Amino acid sequence: MPDTIKLEEKKLKVIGTRPVRPDGVPKVTGLARYGADYSLPGMLWGKILRSPHAHARIRSIDTSQAQALPGVKAVMTSADLPEQKFEYVGPERVAVNFWHMTRNIMAREKVLYEGHAVAAVAAISSTVADEALRLIKVDYEVLPHVIDVDEAMRPDAPLLFADMITRGVEPAPGKPSNISKRIELKIGDLEAGFAAADEIVEMDFKTAPVHQGYIEPQGCLARFDTDGQGEIWASSQGHFVVRAFTAQLLEMNIGNLLVHPAEIGGGFGGKTVIYIEPVAAVLSRKTGHPVKIVMSREDVFMATGPTSGAAMTVKIGVKKDGKIVAADGLFKFQAGAFPGSPVMNACMCSFAPYDIPNVRSVGYDVVCNRPKSAAYRAPGSPISAFAVESVIDVAAARIGMDPLQFRLKNSAKVGTPTVWGPKHAHDSYAATIQALLKHPGYTAPLGKNQGRGVASGFWFNNGGESSATAHVNEDGTVVVATGSPDIGGSRASMALMAAETLGIDYDKVRPIVADTASIGYTHVTGGSRVTFASGIAVIEACKKVIGELRARAAMTWDVDVDDVIWEEGHARPAGKNMGRFEPLSLKAIAAKKAVTGGPISASASVNAGGVAPGFASELCDVEVDPETGGVKILRFVAAQDVGRAIHPSYVEGQIQGGVAQGIGWALNEEYIYDQAGRLLNAGFLDYRIPVASDLPMIEAVLVEVPNPNHPFGVKGAGEVNIVPSMAAVANAVSHAIGRRMTELPMSPPKVLVALDSGRGD
Amino acid sequence: MAQSPARVVLTSGFSGCYTGGVKEFEIEAKTLRGVIKALDELYPGLGEHLEEETTVAIDGEIHEVGYHQPVRPGCEIFFIPKIEGG
Repeated sequence: MPDTIKLEEKKLKVIGTRPVRPDGVPKVTGLARYGADYSLPGMLWGKILRSPHAHARIRSIDTSQAQALPGVKAVMTSADLPEQKFEYVGPERVAVNFWHMTRNIMAREKVLYEGHAVAAVAAISSTVADEALRLIKVDYEVLPHVIDVDEAMRPDAPLLFADMITRGVEPAPGKPSNISKRIELKIGDLEAGFAAADEIVEMDFKTAPVHQGYIEPQGCLARFDTDGQGEIWASSQGHFVVRAFTAQLLEMNIGNLLVHPAEIGGGFGGKTVIYIEPVAAVLSRKTGHPVKIVMSREDVFMATGPTSGAAMTVKIGVKKDGKIVAADGLFKFQAGAFPGSPVMNACMCSFAPYDIPNVRSVGYDVVCNRPKSAAYRAPGSPISAFAVESVIDVAAARIGMDPLQFRLKNSAKVGTPTVWGPKHAHDSYAATIQALLKHPGYTAPLGKNQGRGVASGFWFNNGGESSATAHVNEDGTVVVATGSPDIGGSRASMALMAAETLGIDYDKVRPIVADTASIGYTHVTGGSRVTFASGIAVIEACKKVIGELRARAAMTWDVDVDDVIWEEGHARPAGKNMGRFEPLSLKAIAAKKAVTGGPISASASVNAGGVAPGFASELCDVEVDPETGGVKILRFVAAQDVGRAIHPSYVEGQIQGGVAQGIGWALNEEYIYDQAGRLLNAGFLDYRIPVASDLPMIEAVLVEVPNPNHPFGVKGAGEVNIVPSMAAVANAVSHAIGRRMTELPMSPPKVLVALDSGRGD
Repeated sequence: MAQSPARVVLTSGFSGCYTGGVKEFEIEAKTLRGVIKALDELYPGLGEHLEEETTVAIDGEIHEVGYHQPVRPGCEIFFIPKIEGG
């Protein structure tokens, strides 16, 4: 871990400024190259045949007519992908099972959701490929399907896997079910806690699965040589993970696969997994040509992972003085067609903001006939927060306490135990509540049909493996390379941290995202980890460069390197008694690089720890139209502990983006299925994410409590902002209409039903 | 003078899978390498699972599992599921 730069002692010159992002101009002029923008001579078009059924056994696939069509160069099915061992590997919370993954890439025995890939073709044009897909004959035995999580858990539900025995239950159940896993976390004595409560609030909730809604559909280009070496250009949140998963599914050596990071048009967790890369790779291997596959928007909705829908029950017990004494949460999450929902995150994050002595969180991971769920911004936490923060709101009202003061009284601090074991080591939650209490919006008057809601949230943030290289160019500029795809302005953040460390101007640093062969392993851009972890790698690489610059200056001055310091971008004598030397700038040292030892360059790889979690508190004002049930967001204030905002504009952008997604999740977004389990709204016209005209200016309040474990105080800032948003909107709508809203989305028909129902808190 | 051992805790899921339900240990070590080594000697193979599948909280501070992490006498070490986000 690098030395902590004492922020109060060191005046920052570059960090905290708001320069234009290095990738801004190409992105707004259309020159940036995304996954679909790459082409090669001789390239073929790949297309994927998808299941029309939600659940069916594949009796046979006849590809003969498709293969005979002029212009078709190859057809593939799951038979072209090697079988994988059935085992869960990797971290318990996000364990990967390649037996499942290869079946998600291309169905084998059964199709498990509408849109499940069944076969693929490579042809000389997109039109010919489409025609070839129509010639593939698949004989299906249609099976009963199940979409809803509660229905999927019923003993008589149609089974997706005839041999799935619930993990985490002792003794193991004797019969298979759709319940992949049960989780239980617990501290204290729940029974005694509830017995001591003056008031107990218990409520049921339901949320819809929602898609990340990234604007750029998945796209990739693959090229394989006859010697078995391959290259992929793909839009993803982590090209090293694309490489690892693709190599595993194709039984390749990782070293034989080179993955180039395309620009990414949004990911939000959804591009931490792969769908099309192994298919393009197999088709390229079979044909000897480069193959490009680009998903349509319909493909994205039908076949890529949204986050889970959930059914939840939350109960809390509270004393009249406002102290929460017990909390119990039941979280049932849809995993989609294969196990692996973020329910463990939900269990861990649900009550994390609070100091509660007796807590239990129980989670179920449940498969159903929908696309396999994927990560989505603080995966799991916003879902459980919707339930918990709604109950907190009701409990505060029940004892007649202001909802922010209620949260403040119960806020977790350093030393507060968590339900997953360790004690909190950081306590910035209270500061986010205080920021809202001080905000004039919290006491602003409300009009007719208007309501105000508040909510809070927790997210871990992440560190982990990152690599960086800093090259000093001969004119004194510096190239900083990392392995982190830039989704939220990380090039700018890396350049700012490099410039601050080296003591040079921001515009003298050129940050790039390097391919898998040009930089050391770097984990995905996800978990709010890049500015923290890749930032540490950049700082470490720059410190090594400074060491080399000092050595070159020492050589020039014929002094010992210990007699040279680096200050404000210059090598300077360490003391007055070592002689008079004019300071040497980085540019001056770079110009003499040849005679002082050659190019100046340094790399650093880290497994960054010491992350500090994120807390956010949010305030929402709404107005409900009692005739239509439509909800208008009047005001939204999001106070988030961001550690140190390296580039405040992009941190604010993260907060605004997370809130906008949370508002869409709260009010409009849902998958609508027909009786046959077919998706009816696989497009942005009918699956309605918020647009600018739906939203007020979202006010981001940056609460800066620096992380002492990062040289510049960085905490992750990309995810926790979405955690409270749905609950804040739900609490506001509930207060506006005088009815408790417990199901998402709170679309106009549901608000009208609530208005008509007379159902109260 | 003997140093006070660290309190080492596994999750229920982990202890259920690998230690027959034993969740808590007292281990004397200077680094996380020593902690993992001691646990691996008690339950052969456990060390690899800890290295591959967990994140560690030392006195509440969350770190990636790395051999070099210092272990203060009397500290609390929780091996928790590795964190992934979106």
